[in-house]
Amino acid sequence: MRVADLSLPLSLAALVAVPFVFGDFTAYQIGLFLLYGSVAQGVALCWGRVGILPLGQALFFGLGAYLGGGALIRFEHSSILLYPALLGAVLAPATVAGAIGILVFRRNVGSGPYFSLITLALSMLAYQVALGADWLTGGYMGLNGIPPLPGTDPWSTLYWVILGALVLSTGVLLWITRSPLGQLLHAVSQNEDRLSFLGFDIARLKALAFAVSAALAGMAGALYAAQQGIVTPQVLAYVLSGELLIWTAVGGRASLIGPAAGAVLIGMLTSNLRDRFQYWEILLALLFLAIVLFAPTGLAGLIAPLLKRLPKRVHAMRDVERPLPDRGDMPMLSFEEVRVTIGSVRILQGLTLELKKRGLHCLIGPNGAGKTSAFNALMGRLSVSGGRITWGGRDITGLPAHKVARLGIARKLQVPAIFHDMTVGVHLDIALWSGGISARELLSQRSFRYRNEILGVLKEMFPFLNDEEKRAGDLSLGHRQVLEFALSVIARPEVVLLDEPCAGLSTQETANLTAAIRKIAGRFDISALIIEHDFSVVEELSDHIFVLHQGQTLSEGTLEAIRADHKVQAVYTGGTK
Amino acid sequence: MDASLFFLLNMGYGVLTLALVALGLAVIFGLLGVMNMAHGEFIAMGAYSAYAAQSAGLPLFVSLPAAALVTGAVGWLIEATVVRHLYKRPFDTLLATWGISILLREGIKLAFGVDYKSVVEPVSGSTGVLGIDYPNYRIAVMAALLVCFFLLFLWYRKSHASARVRAMIANPELAAIVGINTKRLASLAFVIGAASAGIAGAMLAPLVQIEPYMGINYLLQSFFVLVVGGLGSFHGLFIGSGVIGGVASTASAAFGGTGGYVTLLLISILFLWLKPEGLYAGR
Amino acid sequence: MRPHLSVSGLTAGYGDLAVLRDLSFDVAEGEILCITGRNGVGKTTLMRAVSGAIPLLAGHITLNGKDVTALATNKRQKLGLSYGPQENVSFAPLTVRENLTLHLDGYDLSRYERLFQAFPRIEERLEQKAGSLSGGERKILSFCRVMAEGGSLVALDEPTEGVAPENIALMIDAIRSAAAEGTAMAIVEQNLTLVEAVADKVIVIDHGEIIYRCTAMPNLRQEIEAQLRV
Repeated sequence: MRVADLSLPLSLAALVAVPFVFGDFTAYQIGLFLLYGSVAQGVALCWGRVGILPLGQALFFGLGAYLGGGALIRFEHSSILLYPALLGAVLAPATVAGAIGILVFRRNVGSGPYFSLITLALSMLAYQVALGADWLTGGYMGLNGIPPLPGTDPWSTLYWVILGALVLSTGVLLWITRSPLGQLLHAVSQNEDRLSFLGFDIARLKALAFAVSAALAGMAGALYAAQQGIVTPQVLAYVLSGELLIWTAVGGRASLIGPAAGAVLIGMLTSNLRDRFQYWEILLALLFLAIVLFAPTGLAGLIAPLLKRLPKRVHAMRDVERPLPDRGDMPMLSFEEVRVTIGSVRILQGLTLELKKRGLHCLIGPNGAGKTSAFNALMGRLSVSGGRITWGGRDITGLPAHKVARLGIARKLQVPAIFHDMTVGVHLDIALWSGGISARELLSQRSFRYRNEILGVLKEMFPFLNDEEKRAGDLSLGHRQVLEFALSVIARPEVVLLDEPCAGLSTQETANLTAAIRKIAGRFDISALIIEHDFSVVEELSDHIFVLHQGQTLSEGTLEAIRADHKVQAVYTGGTK
Repeated sequence: MDASLFFLLNMGYGVLTLALVALGLAVIFGLLGVMNMAHGEFIAMGAYSAYAAQSAGLPLFVSLPAAALVTGAVGWLIEATVVRHLYKRPFDTLLATWGISILLREGIKLAFGVDYKSVVEPVSGSTGVLGIDYPNYRIAVMAALLVCFFLLFLWYRKSHASARVRAMIANPELAAIVGINTKRLASLAFVIGAASAGIAGAMLAPLVQIEPYMGINYLLQSFFVLVVGGLGSFHGLFIGSGVIGGVASTASAAFGGTGGYVTLLLISILFLWLKPEGLYAGR
Repeated sequence: MRPHLSVSGLTAGYGDLAVLRDLSFDVAEGEILCITGRNGVGKTTLMRAVSGAIPLLAGHITLNGKDVTALATNKRQKLGLSYGPQENVSFAPLTVRENLTLHLDGYDLSRYERLFQAFPRIEERLEQKAGSLSGGERKILSFCRVMAEGGSLVALDEPTEGVAPENIALMIDAIRSAAAEGTAMAIVEQNLTLVEAVADKVIVIDHGEIIYRCTAMPNLRQEIEAQLRV
């Protein structure tokens, strides 16, 4: 947030100066766009931070405006009721957004168009309702004669309240962005799968961000009602939603005040130029397109390098020890006649497998045997059409990935899945939080100071992990494999599923990682189920081996037993099938 | 008796026109996986082409190929310059096509202004159908659509070209391996999707209000149809249209326009919740 | 004799995960090259690189004298590459007939006459959807398509996987005939019976590199098994 550091106080100073330098009327106009700016900041939280695109944000702005306006009219003379009602204007949109978010995100893995289109549809619906329901909203004419906020004059002193609201929204967003929660939200946009395999509920995180953005929009809407004195259905219109997105994009969706600046600059330009220069709207549309395609970070992103470079934020000292979870007997992991079919292809045809004892187990077999599919079925990524999977006697078939992870089953993917734009240090933080983190910890800076015994051992074995400010995307492939391995074991899972952990590694790197797996698993009593093709690795890491073939278990036992088994030999060298 | 016949005819009209409207999006989303947010604007362009044809004194049936040409050309341009580079990035295609929809809308505003336009029906009056009077143009549209969809269905089942398209949907990598030029097919798919949206707009022009923001509703309707009907198959398109069209007509009759909209929204969310692949997962 | 397919310095993988490093080999007209190695060493990646499904990180591929390194997959087919992939070998919702004629101009099946004689089951199932065939049958379907495509270079990835032994023998016949007619062939196979039967030369891949090359010889199978260290 280098831009924020310098530009925040500068912008605030400039905004404070406005009424004195330009007079009350200009302040009034800018005030309106500052309100839109708060809404745009919420849009940026969703779009730039989390990676979901709300196309109907005017819904929440309008909801806040109607509720706020209604409250001001109704409780004009009763402040005991007025302020809670105004609070309602902020909380109601947030609640609605949270509900929509959960509904949509639970079902839809990935940030597809569904969310965007449903938000659009809802805002259109709200617009229709506002137009039609005369008794509720005043219909086409809207809510008139809204009294000002007690103690303020919309034409002069309300500006300070609006400015205060913007400071508040910026502050809240800054706090969230810098907190552990903010890191998790960013991680959602980087790699959802990885995050859910660490036990985090993606749907809830997205819904939370959406709710926060709606709260900001609601607050802005309520103040809008106080400033304008009238609320018409236009506050819900598609036009406003569209403009919000343009302002956010142009201002900079990854920045804190960029969207607000975008709203003020572009918004004011538009209202001035719209009538005088007929090509303005088209130019704006082209600008939006250009920014989306070529300069996704918007103006803020373009300006940032020009500002003085501040020293990089160094990761906090890790001085808070997190105890490791206790270890009892390992719950038994069992596949019972599991069948998985995709279309007409039978991938798993009655797979039966039991992981009873602690230790290192290898899963081997020719291509198409179903090894990775078994992992995917376990983590709820593939639907099981027959049989069941149990963990400690409990049926966990079809449980979503993050819930399976919470049971203590960790997973490392074959192609290293990490959060490319985030630092090594944050990766380690997220891994440390994956064992379980309270809401309070999510908002506290103290959570960045965690460490545990396993992390200590990993850092000793792999010194590159000490360079916590390094961007994970810049690491070599070998280091990324190790980092992902570290992510999967730091919280001391019961079992870790490793899918070809040494894929693409040199002989030396393979030896190092293999030794690390053996050491960590042994010392911290973590069982491992490892898919491997490389027999040198299998030799090192197999207390026990399962051989899969055509979606079933062909054989199991120690390496010698497997080697001597004719059935296994036949499958591997293709004698008679 | 009369009222229910009227209702049924309206529903039939609603379902058929909905299928026509959604066809373009189904082609593009189904074949290319691109949620074309400018879909509604292609329909709008088609409607405005009809208006332009009328203003130029040309008969309405000229506007159909004109609309197809205009929207097809614009579609080709968009695919070649923007969409083609973003196939691996679905989020960005959403954004980009949305940006394009704004651009197209502003273009329409600039060219035609914001006030409502209208296009005169080429065949006016009404005819007795099973005892009630039904508008002629609507009958003409329904008849034309029935014929076209039937032919389209045959083509889809039988022709070599459709086999190539179905192959590309089923297994794009193998399609390239057997020599199918998937890039050209993708471009063609986009053009056809755009052109059919244009034709839809031109056909419906005499029956709807023509204004720059008309596209958004069509986009949403098409989206709902796809959510319910699923992607990648002809059957899905009709099932989706049937359900959405049917529900919309019934709910509107019962609860009024807004109520109809709410019902549609609820059903779509329900489908999204219960059956994310739609009713007919043709893939 | 100029090689028909020439691969030099091929380095390829997924993202920057280089699965194959600096591979070089060639195949002449009428020659059969078998590529073998343990699971997961990158044989399929090699085939996919040759077909154009994945780009090369380094190196060149030359087909019939032309550098095809940057050429799109469908254009390589037009230049004479007939490729049968290891998985997703057919178009499931299309009929067997459509699968076999998709790339042709009409529905004429006369070119499949000899293959239908060897594999009558495929002819029996012409109007069935390919997705309803068993895995082995689909592999045979793919094999037929490739062999009748008329390409000058045939690339097969594990053609016998899931195929019954009696059909494997028929495949071996078809492969030998094609080579006798001048088709260059590159076949990835773990089935050493087939390798023994058809290979003119063999390369063994391990850890992303070619660790062994040889030409056909009496105790070929034992030599290869020794290399595979199973």
